[in-house]
Amino acid sequence: MLETSSLIKFFGRGTVNEVLALNGLDLAVGPGEFVCIIGSNGAGKTTLMRCISGSAPPDSGRTTLDGRDITLWPEHRRATLIGRVFQDPLAGTCASMTIEENMALASRRGKKRGFRAGVTRTEREAFRESLSKLHLGLEGRLSDQVGLLSGGQRQSLTLLMANLLTPKLLLLDEHTASLDPKTASLIMDLTCQLVDEGRVTTLMITHNMQQAISYGNRLIMLHHGRIILDFNERDKARLTVQDLLQHFHSATSGDNQISDRLVLG
Amino acid sequence: MTFIAFCGAVEQGLVYGLMALGVFITFRVLDFPDLTVDGSLPLGAAVSSVCITQGMSPWLSLLPAMGAGFLAGMVTGILTTRLKILHLLSSILTMTALYSVNIRIMGARPNVALINSPTVFDSVSPLVAALGVSPWLTSSCLFIVLVTMVVAALIWLMRTELGQALLATGDNPRMITSLGVNTSVTIIVGVGLSNALVSLCGALVAQNQGAAEVSMGVGTIVAGLASIVVGETLFGGRRITVRIVSVVLGSVIYRLAIAAALSLDIFSPSDFNLITASLVVAALCMPLVKSRLKSRGGNQKNA
Repeated sequence: MLETSSLIKFFGRGTVNEVLALNGLDLAVGPGEFVCIIGSNGAGKTTLMRCISGSAPPDSGRTTLDGRDITLWPEHRRATLIGRVFQDPLAGTCASMTIEENMALASRRGKKRGFRAGVTRTEREAFRESLSKLHLGLEGRLSDQVGLLSGGQRQSLTLLMANLLTPKLLLLDEHTASLDPKTASLIMDLTCQLVDEGRVTTLMITHNMQQAISYGNRLIMLHHGRIILDFNERDKARLTVQDLLQHFHSATSGDNQISDRLVLG
Repeated sequence: MTFIAFCGAVEQGLVYGLMALGVFITFRVLDFPDLTVDGSLPLGAAVSSVCITQGMSPWLSLLPAMGAGFLAGMVTGILTTRLKILHLLSSILTMTALYSVNIRIMGARPNVALINSPTVFDSVSPLVAALGVSPWLTSSCLFIVLVTMVVAALIWLMRTELGQALLATGDNPRMITSLGVNTSVTIIVGVGLSNALVSLCGALVAQNQGAAEVSMGVGTIVAGLASIVVGETLFGGRRITVRIVSVVLGSVIYRLAIAAALSLDIFSPSDFNLITASLVVAALCMPLVKSRLKSRGGNQKNA
């Protein structure tokens, strides 16, 4: 489904601050796979996601998705195939627009936008129905501005919006990291529900080891812009948080740096 | 203020309301501070006036005027999105270039007179007279009709898919890009549309005052901002319909306020821009002053 080959991405190339964020990264993800991505800060997780979504194209390497070579596609064109949820709960919605307007924007992802109505009556009913699945009471607030919602509600809405048109690939960049534990687990349940319903191929970055073990059917660890560990569903089932931390330490022990998030497990 | 001054201010408020709507599209919808308007207002005036003196119908001359404004806005949009020049600077560059362009359009002269030429007002004055309205209200009547049409068209546009994409581009460009919209295109189209309205305003002002002048655009952006903030302060509202209508009402009230200020003996007509700028500063820092006052009050409560 998704294939990246020899992705290379430098930041500040040619300066003293040159950083090699992706070091010839190869990744092949099959249809319907749900891959959790872990790694210390600066390992290249987010850079990988930005290379795939097109928001920061790599310096070299190829990317194919759903049988199409999207290497040269700009970000807005890749959006026809990719749904995204960001870490910042405010990043995925327009605060000044209403819930139904935001959903209508998402339901036209990758489609031509012309002079037809921005929100139609039939859409409104469909939105009401899919919002009721969230059990947040949002189905009665279609014409409320999104800026009035809490972070958790906005992240739920963003997740729902990313799946309104079933994407070929869903990119989740630490999408529960800035939420309280209860909301985070609600969002994860919703994630699983939506991914299962649409059999969506998914990449999820997380710093939460328990999350990485409990969810998805594959787990990879990035370090210095490469994949250093790759567990399939069976190996993953046997993993414990302790095992993962061990791997983390042995991977980073060569570096003279402390990974702050690591301490938090 | 005399009754004639009052009517004059309303008339100005209505016609410059078209300009304010243009500024609203860039400044509020796209979150793009666009100074191109200082050049595209005389651009519209120049194009329309030259077309009329060449024998074109005054109504028809509004079309090339709007087209020229759209192109000017597109230039600013392209400088910003394709060449990655800071939006404010892009618009200043276009505005500066337009000064020379406008003089060239007017045949190497700084103005074009329309004294003995037909205007759009001539064609409607028999109708206005037939309705029994005083002839010197002709332009106001025409402006009311035109502004209503433009307001209705804008409200319709903002509710279409394209309008929604424009609104989202100003609110959250990262999000709307991830939903498949090329924000370069929405910005270029949006800034173009904005300047088309400003040029339409310039063309009507030139026909109304009987001349196009290269310097008539000075202070356009500030007057536009003043209309927007006056409208927002007085009418508020979050719905796009309310916001669009309040821009026009803001424009009229702003012109009335200026007329009232100028009717005082201490001011001379050349103080117009100073008064406008002071008004905008006052309106823009209103939220800050309010929140400061509020937080001070809160602190005292806690203490």
